[in-house]
Amino acid sequence: MPRHPDVPAYAPDIYSTQAVLDPYPHYAKLRELGPVVWLPKHKVYALPRYAECKAVLLNDKTFTSGEGVALNSLTNRFSRGTTLNSDGEDHTGRRALVAHRLTPRALRTMKEAVECQAAEIVDAALARRDVDGVDIAEALPTAVVPDLVGWPQEQRKNLLSWGAATFDVLGPLNARAAAATFRGLGVMRFARGVVRRRSILPGSMGDDLLRAADEGKIARSECPALMIDYLVPSLDTTLSAIASALHLFATHPGQWQLLKNDPGLIPNAINEIVRYESPLRAFSRKVAEDTVLAGTALPAGSRVLVLYASANRDALEWENPDTFDIRRDASRQLGFGRGTHGCAGQGLARLEVQAILQALVARVEKIVPTGEPEWGLNNIIRRLHRLPLELVPA
Amino acid sequence: MKISVDHDRCEGHGLCAVQAPAVFDLDDDAHVVHQFEGGTVPPEHVEAARSAVNVCPVAALRELT
Ligand code: HEM
Ligand code: SF4
Repeated sequence: MPRHPDVPAYAPDIYSTQAVLDPYPHYAKLRELGPVVWLPKHKVYALPRYAECKAVLLNDKTFTSGEGVALNSLTNRFSRGTTLNSDGEDHTGRRALVAHRLTPRALRTMKEAVECQAAEIVDAALARRDVDGVDIAEALPTAVVPDLVGWPQEQRKNLLSWGAATFDVLGPLNARAAAATFRGLGVMRFARGVVRRRSILPGSMGDDLLRAADEGKIARSECPALMIDYLVPSLDTTLSAIASALHLFATHPGQWQLLKNDPGLIPNAINEIVRYESPLRAFSRKVAEDTVLAGTALPAGSRVLVLYASANRDALEWENPDTFDIRRDASRQLGFGRGTHGCAGQGLARLEVQAILQALVARVEKIVPTGEPEWGLNNIIRRLHRLPLELVPA
Repeated sequence: MKISVDHDRCEGHGLCAVQAPAVFDLDDDAHVVHQFEGGTVPPEHVEAARSAVNVCPVAALRELT
């Protein structure tokens, strides 16, 4: 798809190793160039500013997901059948199935158990004192989600690696995506096996799906993709947010003191963490009909890239966007997406991050960085890979 | 100014109630309750109500003109 001659272009690859490790300077340049910027390397119109990202997310008739949200046509073909990759009534039906066990209402009964697990995780970390923050961040999602989804005990150790692979292939078809493709297919194969053997834990969300299939509400062949909807986006994303929270509070001791003085700030701090270090960099949409966005004509069939992580740093929307401040009202951040495809698991994610922060605030005086943090390499997920910290008990 | 609620779409995330407690609340089942549903939002609550529309993560709230 050729670009319109008036649209500014940005030649550097925003998925290069350098850009993946340090994306914000690239996003700043994109925002400076304009509201719609052509990326010749990926043949997509990038939307680096808040207003256009939001407008596109809210207009799911023109900007569709059914032909995929990746920058990789292979993935877009393989991932049909998930909630993420569907439009209209197909989407509404899948979303209802997937979301009803994830609403804050449905999660209420879990709250206490999650808080207990979070307290145990923080106590264990405090006993060690010198920790890798990523281990803390990993512990809660991997303790909570597989049981909730009903994933059998076997193969749980693969879930994180499968999740990361599935995200990698949602970016452009680069070397990282190619390397991940085999692992990405592994999760699909396993999900099919789980559905076939019915090796799902009873009473779980996955069990609900299979029963909906028994009752003829959905086809059994749809179940594996829907299982993946629950599993893949639920581990790495939340892990990213918890690890970034630890990193941000370690490097902003004044903000940690504010949170300790007033734990009522935690819900807003979660929005600010997801704004400042958005776990998901970007997904795309296919333009279904000729349209105009911010004065730019976009032909049917072209693709736009919704850069959540850049929208959340847009100075046209946020005062001092590069400052981490848990007192700002960050509730309109786009890190969970927005509208029809707005994150179905955000209630669970908020519950987990809230539980960890509550446990930390009650027990930890200071979070001290003890070494250079390392960021992971993934096309979609921005998350820490190593985060050396000392936790000083209160 | 009026605000419509798509009750099928609301998943009870409750962000609206934080932004505009005088306009939105959650019932015991965590469904949104709109104090002025079908009617006009009083001028003193319009600003808060707008920011509630703005933060609803699933776009269940819509401002009608
Ligand atoms: C901090 C943690 C999380 C972040 C930042 C996050 C972010 C997002 C974003 C940006 C989207 C929108 C995709 C789009 O616009 O196409 C999304 C969708 C989704 N998320 Fe999350 N997510 C998180 C946690 C979770 C968890 C814990 C689950 C499930 C247990 C989950 C399940 C889903 C599902 C099923 C969708 C697809 C919804 C749809 O297409 O209707 N997410 N998430
Ligand atoms: S913010 Fe939206 S989803 Fe949440 S309770 Fe209000 S209307 Fe419902």
